[in-house]
Amino acid sequence: MPSAYYTCNLLPLELVARAGFDPRWLGEHLQDPGAPARRDALSIHPMTCPYVTRLVTAADALFDEATDGDVLLVPGGCDAMRRLGDLMAATYPGRVFVVPLGRSAGDHAAEDLAVELARLDTWLRDKGGAARGADVPGGAAASGADAPGAAGEAGGAPTPVKELPKVEYPAAPRPGGVFVVAGPLTDNSLLTLIERLGATVSGLESCTSPDRWRPLAAAGEAAAAADPDSYLALARQILDLGMCPRRSTVERRAHLALRLDESRPSSVIYARQSFCDPGAYDAVLVAELAEERGLPYLEIEVGFPFEASGPLHTRVEAFLEAQLLDDDLLDDLDELLDDDLLSDESLDDLLDEED
Amino acid sequence: MPGMADVTGNTLNAALIRTAFLASMRLKALQNRTAHSYLMMHSLAASLEMFKPGAIVPWVSYLFPTEILSSYGITPMIPEIGSATITGSDLREAAEAAAARMALARDVCSYHRTALASVENDMLPAPTMCLGTTPLCLGKEMLLEMLAVRHDVPFREIRVPLPPDEGESSPEVVADVAEQIRVLHDDIGRWTGRKPDLRKAVVLSNRASKAWGEIMRARLAGELELNGRKTFALVFLGQLLWGTAEGAKDFERLLTERGRRDLVAPTPPPGRPLKKLLWLHTVPHHDREIFDLIEQRGATVTFEEMGQMHEDLIDPDDPFPGLARRLTDHTLWGTSARRARLNVALAKRLKVDGVVHFNHWGCRHGLGSVPVIRAAFMEAGIPFLAIDGDALARGGPNQEKSLQQMESFLELL
Repeated sequence: MPSAYYTCNLLPLELVARAGFDPRWLGEHLQDPGAPARRDALSIHPMTCPYVTRLVTAADALFDEATDGDVLLVPGGCDAMRRLGDLMAATYPGRVFVVPLGRSAGDHAAEDLAVELARLDTWLRDKGGAARGADVPGGAAASGADAPGAAGEAGGAPTPVKELPKVEYPAAPRPGGVFVVAGPLTDNSLLTLIERLGATVSGLESCTSPDRWRPLAAAGEAAAAADPDSYLALARQILDLGMCPRRSTVERRAHLALRLDESRPSSVIYARQSFCDPGAYDAVLVAELAEERGLPYLEIEVGFPFEASGPLHTRVEAFLEAQLLDDDLLDDLDELLDDDLLSDESLDDLLDEED
Repeated sequence: MPGMADVTGNTLNAALIRTAFLASMRLKALQNRTAHSYLMMHSLAASLEMFKPGAIVPWVSYLFPTEILSSYGITPMIPEIGSATITGSDLREAAEAAAARMALARDVCSYHRTALASVENDMLPAPTMCLGTTPLCLGKEMLLEMLAVRHDVPFREIRVPLPPDEGESSPEVVADVAEQIRVLHDDIGRWTGRKPDLRKAVVLSNRASKAWGEIMRARLAGELELNGRKTFALVFLGQLLWGTAEGAKDFERLLTERGRRDLVAPTPPPGRPLKKLLWLHTVPHHDREIFDLIEQRGATVTFEEMGQMHEDLIDPDDPFPGLARRLTDHTLWGTSARRARLNVALAKRLKVDGVVHFNHWGCRHGLGSVPVIRAAFMEAGIPFLAIDGDALARGGPNQEKSLQQMESFLELL
């Protein structure tokens, strides 16, 4: 079955799978940076975020060698990603589909996205995956979302494999921990680092967060060419779930404020990728929200894939140590207050003795 | 010459200095009688009005249809122009220091970063509304909305779909954008309480467009050679004056030799024609060295990509579709392939010897399209050079590298 590599989770994967493609997140197909590059390999300007930079290399390597049926799907939410789509489309004509994404979630934005989704659906079917998808009982390919990486047979037809981001919470999010805001992450190593350093995680706001990719992995099954409203519903679902940094400041602010208030963290860490415009403005917004709530805030500049080593590890450690120290001091104070020595009666006794 | 703070203050003293300064600029324009000197004087005079208490200050994107502001007698505040002005004034150091103190990452577009630092430190007037357009980049939309939220003023964005790679945007797309502009024009009237005269603004804009269109047609036909860098500066400032009587008169001054005499291309030495370059994207505003080098090596920037705007006339009785079409089919909007196709065609038409793309610091849409543009020029057999730089910088390591690259490129030509 041909693969449909995708660059961002704001895609209804079931729509892709139903057309007879294996949806595969491109972030899982990065090239070894030490591996020798082709002489004519594509390259982009170094003032581009590490995510887009690595995806260009990965897509170029895959498409240079891949079978003709494979395609690349690029939700173009930011300028850099849109240009990635342009570059790949120019290099591999007919194999790349760029889905323009607006900033707002209003009716017009949903209508525009619905048109693009319908266009994507038609394009995918035209690319030859439809015949295989149509063989699947119910007209929709069986989902492999619950078993990423697994392939099987359903009703005689191959079951699409969904390769999804692998980010999961190491433990259930708990109030009183760190709220992490990040761009795309390859895995949960930042979250495990936080837990390893003795803190807990209260929430993760990232496009690769399970809160984001899980609902979208199953989205798109109901959309049908005969029913334009179904694309509109799907577009609304995507816009509701995809409240990422590129979105309208007002909407993003309200979303983040709600997430912070619901998860009740004790601090906030923003893992920002360099050369990312949405991330740069978003980090300022998150810093303001943290300050309004009196939460300690740390901004770290990260690469893609995320590597919790060296100075970055030290910065997170120092930030968390300061808080854990504060927490320890508060615990000590609580213990002191609980202690008979500092009870009201004891204090009165002490004061009497002094008199 | 007075400093920026001297002419933007609210005191009587500042008002006197401002009046005297503008009078001296007017005298200079009267002496020069060139379109450029008049445009500078008029755009500065209009911009200084925005520093007065109670002024309406719409922060808008570079491609915003400013005629819908001129309709109400309002001057736009364009972040890119504001930043270029501030960094070219005595406030440069203060603006740089303020930008360095800001929490915003240093890797974003320097136009936008400087504009934010300047407005947050009272070097540029605070917005009373923020009005964006999806073209050309996402960063300035984020800046404009952030400002709107911070200053609790309205934010609106004109959503413009990407044009097709070949041909024009569909009438349905143009109609949708036109309707957004119409609604926004009404909203501006509601917010400001002013009465519009859009017909007058469009008639004035058309006068300027007609003159500018004639100049561009003559340049493309090889009948008129202008200095691309200086012409860029004229178009850049001109953005503030579309739809005004001053803008109309100033662009019309270009139609006379006297009015454009400070824009003419350098004269080649006898028997040695100048190598002609096409310049893509923005220019370094405060750094002359690269252009001096070009001239010293017997070349000239003969045309600038950004000058291709406002060349078509708009129907004064039904202006919104025309204003919309300028956005939907702008030469820098769309895919990299579209931009490459248009620029290769332009280069062939102009018969240039080479093409230079200025990779402005932090401009993702501009430098993101370079690989496709480079490939298109290579295929067309036209020499192409992309140089890194910051449009607001003066000197620095990027400039050194760019100078070396330019020198090699010119030798190659």
